[in-house]
Amino acid sequence: MVCCGLTPHLELARRPDLYGTPVVVGRWDDHVIAASDEAVAMGVAPGMPLRQAEHLCPLATFLMPDPEASVRLRELIAAALYDLAPVVEVRQEGVAWLDLDGVTSIQQAIREARRRLRAAAHTEPRLGLAGGPFTSRLAAARARPGRLLRVEDPRSFLDPLPSRELAFDADQMERLDLLGLRTLGAVAAIGPRELESQLGREGRRAVLLARGLEPDRLEPWRPPMFTSSHRQFEPPVEDREALLFVARALCGDLAEELGLRGAGAKEVRVRLHLEDAEEELRDSVVRHPLGSAAELFGLVGSWIKEWQPASPITEMWVELPVLEASGRRQLRLWAGGDGTSEEVVAALERLQERFGEGAVTQVKVG
Amino acid sequence: MQAQPQLDHAIEAIRVRFGSQALTRAAELPPPPAWRSGTPLDQLTGIGGLPHGRLSLLVGNGTCGKLTLALSLLAGATHEFAHPVVIDVSYGFDPQSLLPFQPASGPLTVVRPPVVDAAGEAASALARAGAGFILLMGEVPEPWLGPLESGASRSGTVVVGVVDAPSRAFAHASSLSLAFARAGWIWEREQLIGMRTIARCSKNRVAPPVGESELEIFYPPPGCARGRARVRVRAEVAVGERAWSAVV
Repeated sequence: MVCCGLTPHLELARRPDLYGTPVVVGRWDDHVIAASDEAVAMGVAPGMPLRQAEHLCPLATFLMPDPEASVRLRELIAAALYDLAPVVEVRQEGVAWLDLDGVTSIQQAIREARRRLRAAAHTEPRLGLAGGPFTSRLAAARARPGRLLRVEDPRSFLDPLPSRELAFDADQMERLDLLGLRTLGAVAAIGPRELESQLGREGRRAVLLARGLEPDRLEPWRPPMFTSSHRQFEPPVEDREALLFVARALCGDLAEELGLRGAGAKEVRVRLHLEDAEEELRDSVVRHPLGSAAELFGLVGSWIKEWQPASPITEMWVELPVLEASGRRQLRLWAGGDGTSEEVVAALERLQERFGEGAVTQVKVG
Repeated sequence: MQAQPQLDHAIEAIRVRFGSQALTRAAELPPPPAWRSGTPLDQLTGIGGLPHGRLSLLVGNGTCGKLTLALSLLAGATHEFAHPVVIDVSYGFDPQSLLPFQPASGPLTVVRPPVVDAAGEAASALARAGAGFILLMGEVPEPWLGPLESGASRSGTVVVGVVDAPSRAFAHASSLSLAFARAGWIWEREQLIGMRTIARCSKNRVAPPVGESELEIFYPPPGCARGRARVRVRAEVAVGERAWSAVV
């Protein structure tokens, strides 16, 4: 099952203060990127020239797009949803999909997804649940805000819907219209080969979509593979206790971020920028990903305790250059307690890495 | 007795001033789930077993039976938990000494940290990972007590520490402290066969304190075949006017 959560386009979601008013996002000499429901009601549509949009809805607030901000928001939403389902995809248009196959408690995951989407977009998301991304998105578009529309029989749900839901370009839509295929039911009734001969590969895909066969797969979001945290010292610091204090805080920040992403650090690096000398660094690759502040600080703190910098320190960086999905992240998806054994074994192996093989022994008793 | 009305009045005043949740009687708090170890210690905790997710201490100077009880708990834990772990801070743990308590057959994990700081890291990491039972043979440094407490609380790990006299921080971090004091030896036909010890609940955050008990700890008979040794812990416990005995 795939759950789809619909929020406003992320270019609109970054300005929640304008919810409820007509808003159009786009560059002045370009096309409309996103339009709020209020602007759409006035005839504005994404893709049309901005001048035309202004003509149709002169009272709208016109915003310049901020791709960086919307990408950051997309990353935030994806990270927030990451530990709810094995596969998560989030798009700029304000669509988030969760593939819930294998999730123990689907209702709980959907409830949590709704809560997190609401927190990220500052509005109630519409939710749809169906066998694939296409049907679930159409279901979500027809759900009331904050409610879930579940599709049990995709054919009976899709058949009456207009064929423009297939998101073809204008030429293809015109051809569909000429062929008399005005509903998804009509598209589904025609053979995939027939429509492929008319519209190319897109025609075949359209028939499969209209039949609820869901030919598209989600593109799983992956957390970024690098993160770091740093602190500058003014004046430069020599005191080891102060360094340990800052290192603990940096490890805490990084652990919080790792927890949000459901990732663990496979490599840890500490760099010290020195006042009158070359930068110094320590680096280590670990067997099991480190995810908690205690684990990170265990390694970083041990370096700092024996570090003899050549001169006072002006800046400290804690970098995690290689991240990977933490074991804990997947284990959360299982029934309670099943993953504990693996986590204990991983913790023991980490201790062996840190303090030598002899630090942990298995004794046969009984 | 005269202080009781004044105490009640003070409690009422605090609740009126700062809200009903500002001050709660220990008896009104929901106790943490208990692990029934099957030893007489269960009766001393007030919740019928050792608390999950908390640090419990067995303390006492010299030979007083605390290690015997700890080994008995560990042997029970090998039957109950997939990952009982001994963190041997003092390098004093001998796996052979566990045999008379009939542990479950299988590997037991022993962590011997090279430095005392590593003991703290090991304890907190294993508690966080969800090891079912951790026996601490010694103290962990103060900075690691917070992570240990929170890790155990999250995973529900039963953490038992065995120390002669805990430091202030270690004692403060514990939710349950059982103090042992040797009361005498037990002789039979001029042979030393065991000892009597007084076990007293000196601190209890999980339930109202429950009196003290006199335990009789019998050593395994000499010449006992390996793997067949049996240790019996006989307890005579006085709780108010009631008395009971238990055999492990």
